[in-house]
Amino acid sequence: MSERPESYEAAVERLEEIIDRLDSGQAGLRETLDLCKEGRDLVSYCAAELDEVGEGLKELRLDDLAAKLEVGSEQS
Amino acid sequence: MGEALEKSRVTSLPGPFAVGRYARELQEWMRERPRVQLIGEVTGVGRSKVQAYFELRDSEGAVSCAIWLNDLEKSELGESNLRDGIKVVVEGGLDYYPGGGQASPKFSFRATNVRLAGEGDLIARLEALRRQLRAEGLFELQKQLYRPVLPKTIGVVTAEGGAARRDLLAGLARRGWEGTLVWAFAPVQDRHAAPVIGKALQDLAARPEVEVILVTRGGGSLADLWAFCDETLCRTVAMLRVPVISAIGHERDNTLIDDVAAFACSTPTHAPEGVVPLDCLAARETLERSAVALRRAGEGAIDARSRHLGALARGPARALQRQRDDLNQKIREIRAAAERGLAERATSQQRIGTVVLERARRRAVGADMEKRRAALHRATVTLRAHEPERTLERGYALVEGEGGEPLTSAEAVAAAEQVRLRFADGRIRARTEGDVEREREA
Repeated sequence: MSERPESYEAAVERLEEIIDRLDSGQAGLRETLDLCKEGRDLVSYCAAELDEVGEGLKELRLDDLAAKLEVGSEQS
Repeated sequence: MGEALEKSRVTSLPGPFAVGRYARELQEWMRERPRVQLIGEVTGVGRSKVQAYFELRDSEGAVSCAIWLNDLEKSELGESNLRDGIKVVVEGGLDYYPGGGQASPKFSFRATNVRLAGEGDLIARLEALRRQLRAEGLFELQKQLYRPVLPKTIGVVTAEGGAARRDLLAGLARRGWEGTLVWAFAPVQDRHAAPVIGKALQDLAARPEVEVILVTRGGGSLADLWAFCDETLCRTVAMLRVPVISAIGHERDNTLIDDVAAFACSTPTHAPEGVVPLDCLAARETLERSAVALRRAGEGAIDARSRHLGALARGPARALQRQRDDLNQKIREIRAAAERGLAERATSQQRIGTVVLERARRRAVGADMEKRRAALHRATVTLRAHEPERTLERGYALVEGEGGEPLTSAEAVAAAEQVRLRFADGRIRARTEGDVEREREA
């Protein structure tokens, strides 16, 4: 990927642009192949983002986190 | 007796005072009384150019009230909301209008502020606070923050055993979101709630992984939800650099935290889509479709272009073949035309010979037979000069087929294999070898 998308929604927006351009049939071969590559990278990025919130809900308590932080700072 | 009594009363009291002076002193005295708040129901509202009048009453009594329109406009109630039947709290003090030459004197409670009482009182205070915070620009700060559509870690401030918590978990599950929730449980109702909620929000906002914070509780009366209208809490929220989503009470409830938050959900049931705007399940399907569209576009582009290239590559060969066919056709036409021309010439020569002979014969039958014979001889000699035999005598050979027919093309000879060569002095058989060698490649 040339550069990491700014956000999920930015990636999706760019992906829609790419698909619209490809659907228009106006892109030449070189542009088509470049767009396909960029599009595949964006799909990978979005899939990874979705995977990050797709592997089981984790529930933490702020109190526990704060307690751990205090223990951690005492140990160090 | 009556006269005596009157005399004694007059003498037992101070005065007599001039009433105008007494009235002004009365006014001063009344205005020096401590200012108070009265609560009661408004009746008999009237307005002059500069003042509004009404009676404030309850079941035990009433007081005439007056308020300058300037003060009424600035009051928490607002100028247009003063009407019969509303229960209000009036701030002010005693006042007395001494009257004048023509004007009647009048006692009234001079109000400087009017606000709705009870729940109405809370609403009025809320509205005043809302106006103030809006004027300070605090409603805009959170709304300028970036709010991710797909946060991975969400902080939540709510009551530990509340229905809002269950609503949130169910809603997030429906959207297919399974990230990390950091719970900060806090009381959401009593008068200590606001500071605890404020502290929880600040602690959550201090954690770098928390991308968005939800504050939620179920419905209740305005008094129940009052913690979420707390001025200090709302100022805290406005200043946080992490977006706060509020989901407090029912749809009709409009707490102050809703105004300062980055986004306000109408009810806790709507909180999941407020904190995770992206429906993850739908997003996965959309992404799947995008991937398929891209694959098709990529493969399609190469297939279509390779077909096109193939067609282009075959083009020159086809064009060459077409040219070759055209050329061969022309050669055949030229050859046929040449053969036709030779045949026509031979026929023409024969016709000329016949005519000449006929003329000679006619002349021979004439009077001068001898002369005509001599002329006939000359004609015969001339004619012979045109005969093929004369050509053969000059060293040319004529190629004939087995049947004696003349073969006039290399292809005909090649096809015949066995030919006869006719010379002036006779014929000889011959055999052809090899293919036709053309003079020039067509």
